[in-house]
Amino acid sequence: MAEFLQLVVSGIATGAIYAVAALGFTLMWQAAGVINFAQGEFVMLPAFGMLMCIGVGMPLWLAFLVTCVAAALVLGYAFKRGIADPLIHHGVIPLVIATLGVSIAAKSFVRSGYSAMAQQFPSPFPEGVFHVAGVTVSFADAGTLVIAGAIVLSLQAFLNRTVTGRAMQAVAQNTESARVLGIDVSRMVLYVFVINALLACVAALLITPIYLAKFDMGETIGTKAFFAAIIGGFNQTRGALLGGVLIGVMENVVGYYLSPAYKEGVALVLFLLVILFRPEGILGRREERKV
Amino acid sequence: MIARAGELLHVDALHKSYGAIRAVDGVSFRVGAGEIVGVIGPNGSGKTTLFNCILGQIGPTSGRVTLAGDDITSMSPLELARRGVGRTFQTLQVFGQLSVRDNLIVAAQEFESTLPRRLFARPDAGLTARADEMIERFRLKPVAQLHAGRLSYGQQKLIDIAMAFMPRPRLVLLDEPCAGVNPSLVETLRELLAELNRVQGGSFVVIEHNMDFIMRLCPHVICMVEGKVLAEGPPQAVQSNRAVLEAYLGN
Repeated sequence: MAEFLQLVVSGIATGAIYAVAALGFTLMWQAAGVINFAQGEFVMLPAFGMLMCIGVGMPLWLAFLVTCVAAALVLGYAFKRGIADPLIHHGVIPLVIATLGVSIAAKSFVRSGYSAMAQQFPSPFPEGVFHVAGVTVSFADAGTLVIAGAIVLSLQAFLNRTVTGRAMQAVAQNTESARVLGIDVSRMVLYVFVINALLACVAALLITPIYLAKFDMGETIGTKAFFAAIIGGFNQTRGALLGGVLIGVMENVVGYYLSPAYKEGVALVLFLLVILFRPEGILGRREERKV
Repeated sequence: MIARAGELLHVDALHKSYGAIRAVDGVSFRVGAGEIVGVIGPNGSGKTTLFNCILGQIGPTSGRVTLAGDDITSMSPLELARRGVGRTFQTLQVFGQLSVRDNLIVAAQEFESTLPRRLFARPDAGLTARADEMIERFRLKPVAQLHAGRLSYGQQKLIDIAMAFMPRPRLVLLDEPCAGVNPSLVETLRELLAELNRVQGGSFVVIEHNMDFIMRLCPHVICMVEGKVLAEGPPQAVQSNRAVLEAYLGN
């Protein structure tokens, strides 16, 4: 039992990182109708951004802050203005293809410009473990949970308890109506892009010590975030959380009790089951498209 | 002839063509401050296209729209909202995942403050009292806390209309407020609109197929057929106009 609980706890911690990346994914879809298949690379790039900052002698916390600013500008503002804005009027598919292009470009850029080798990445948390009720918990897992939880809660508070957050929800639920009511839709969408970029930075900070920084690390985290979003419900912010945590826990449980070889397939199996039996996702609503 | 107060909206020779189809074909009319104007006409006569052109949702092919003397032709809905122009749609536009009260607050909050204040302001933007006033007026009090998407069609319609009036607009374009609404609610709606016009002021332009509703609410009626204004005047005169009867019934 203790070992099961242990698997669950560390699974929740890993899942929380997937959830943070998935959260940005669903926000982008809800508010802007953008499916970002470069989401994994949006996590990978900040990881290398932080490595470069550390390379010039910055401490990790400063590297993180500098990277957040850069990500907000490049992955938030520039991505919206340069890629999303010109393509959004042509439907979902051209933009999906463009984000696939961004993903390939980002990987090639990092591989040839930085390194094709996996790089060590410092953990923001101290080494070591502590014990709670017979369960051994690492500081890394606990810290990951605290940070991911705080991020999610403050994002929820922002969306539900501020005037701007409510305007963003309005845009997500009915863009045309929001526009007629005087909400600056373009600005709200920009906020979502910036929030997504910042969430990606947090995910990078938390996951890279585990995965190591590598040009193709985004493939794993990107697909997991995508599956998490679909499993939980693409149009529900809470869905992304549930999907992420579910994948994290199931990966751990399957990896331990069956075989570590199956671990990477867990998200895909869950994804297939959801697509077959509950396509709107566990917490999702069926979408009605206005014609 | 009805005496017109100060003119608020002036639509001047508005055209909207889609290829060879002239959806709006040289429509001109004026709406005075505080006036309620009805727009009737068979399906496909260009009424909604006219609204979309006035509201900047689609750009007119030619023509001019002025609001209190300012040219607002092809202005974005955002700019128009800031100038006090609102609208309702034929279909429901409520935010289903927000509570009724939040729907009303969101409908007016963008007029209240500046960017930094919006980020850190009180979450209700100081609008709860105003929202509750509208909730009371529109008889939505028992459901004020519920998600709007869970309410009946009629209740959502009421929210929809209440939202349009939240920011105290100078001009509201209402597109078929009675569509799909049961007869007793139609009467409630008529009373509410007349009351809002009286206490809150503002000019309304109302597209509607329900003739009884239009006759009793609007002192001035425009009849559109095939993109053109066929007749205009007091409702009784328009209703008994021979050309209007032919357009509706065929000859």
